[in-house]
Amino acid sequence: MTRRRVAITGLGIVSPYGDGVDAFFAHLLAGRSAVRYLQTDDKPRPLAMPFVSCSEFDPNVTLGKPLAGMMERFAHLGVSAAFDAWQDAGLARQAADPAEREQWACIWGTALGGILAFEKGYRDMWQNGRERLSPLSVVLGMNNAVNAHLSIQLGLGGVSMSHTVACASSTVAIGEAFRRVRDGEAPVAITGGSDATQAYGVAKAWEAMRLIAPGNSETAFKACRPFAANRAGLVLGEGGAAMVLEDWDHAVARGARIHAEIVGYGTSCDRSHLVRPEADGQARALRAVLADADLAPEDIGYVNAHGTATVEGDPVEIAALRQVFGGHAPGLAVSATKSMHGHLLGAAGAIEALATVLALREGAIPPTAHLHGNLDPACEGVDHVFEGREGVPLKAALSNSFAFGGSNAVLAFRAAPAP
Amino acid sequence: MYAMQSTELIRQFLHERLGVDPQQVVSDARLADLGVDSLMLAELMFEAEDRLGISIDSSVTAPRTVGDMVSLIESLQAAKAARS
Repeated sequence: MTRRRVAITGLGIVSPYGDGVDAFFAHLLAGRSAVRYLQTDDKPRPLAMPFVSCSEFDPNVTLGKPLAGMMERFAHLGVSAAFDAWQDAGLARQAADPAEREQWACIWGTALGGILAFEKGYRDMWQNGRERLSPLSVVLGMNNAVNAHLSIQLGLGGVSMSHTVACASSTVAIGEAFRRVRDGEAPVAITGGSDATQAYGVAKAWEAMRLIAPGNSETAFKACRPFAANRAGLVLGEGGAAMVLEDWDHAVARGARIHAEIVGYGTSCDRSHLVRPEADGQARALRAVLADADLAPEDIGYVNAHGTATVEGDPVEIAALRQVFGGHAPGLAVSATKSMHGHLLGAAGAIEALATVLALREGAIPPTAHLHGNLDPACEGVDHVFEGREGVPLKAALSNSFAFGGSNAVLAFRAAPAP
Repeated sequence: MYAMQSTELIRQFLHERLGVDPQQVVSDARLADLGVDSLMLAELMFEAEDRLGISIDSSVTAPRTVGDMVSLIESLQAAKAARS
């Protein structure tokens, strides 16, 4: 089978900073945290934790009320981000000739899916005394809602599917979409991920695992401190991020702007423990992505780490990077942007892939916020990025996602040649 | 006596959920022409049950027009009033 080159021609986001893709990256580069203290009015026990909200996002404005009414928040976030990416790619919402999009694909990632639809149902029946649920609950709650809506709205006749692999969901979705474009099955694919992590039961469940970083209204912004000696856990965040993957020749023929090239996808499983990560398993995914992309360790100038700021996870990831990158590891720029946009669970891979692509395109590396002067010796051995760097020519970069269940997935991107 | 109330409910629902111009919601307008598919019809019935305190049996013939829907709601409201 002839492998096709795969261009990234569209980027889209629903960002906690409230602006588009370029503003999102500018905020990251400046090291600005979007983490705030969340306190809900849930009774009898409110949610009270550092959190990242897309508080300015209004789905009725971006999608229109009739379409927004057919979706739950994870789909609002996902479809809006995807429409943004579609527009960025210069593609029309409706095809001039529907036959043209017969093989175009949509592959989406989400860990929680439409969980809010069912959570609302429980509240209605158990707390509010209602006898029946809205008949829309099933279509609002189904995990494939984003890809279903996108395929319908954009007239995409090829594969339409969703992937749920905990915190690696959207990395897997992007990787699977990449393979289908590279193999010639789909000339264009819209992919990415979204999650509405403010689901009450989900937030409480993470809290019960003692993995949520503590904080209050004054300290919340610096609650998530990956690789820091005083790291204290993760911060949940909501959002959506999307990219348009396109057969290189197809993109060039229509004069599309190419942000970067996606060149590799590597996966593995730790096969050892549900939540304790293993450096060996992660290293196998890293080696797999380099082999898939036909890149040497020295070609990689930046890694967007999984870096959740858990006590156990961060040193394991650095150990895996040291294992694979060897003598190049001390010069390998690494940062965890979760310190600023939080952990988007099933959308984490997508928002971090976006940050990685933008780093390549702009020749700039976003930092790990709150790390300067605070590095855990157990996380030493790579070039930690304490402050945003600009004017850095990068050839290629990786984005890591290492999920509960031991599922590891890594994407490789290469800078596009200058136009 | 309920026609005004039920027509208004349908108008509000279709305007809110599908962006339908309230002036188009007249008795002989076909629900399908207003963009009401089977899913949205189920949601409309759910809304009527919720707002008006009636119960629409799942075996009823699906209304085709706004007038059919109004008649269905009215008959159930009348039956409910007779019981109370």
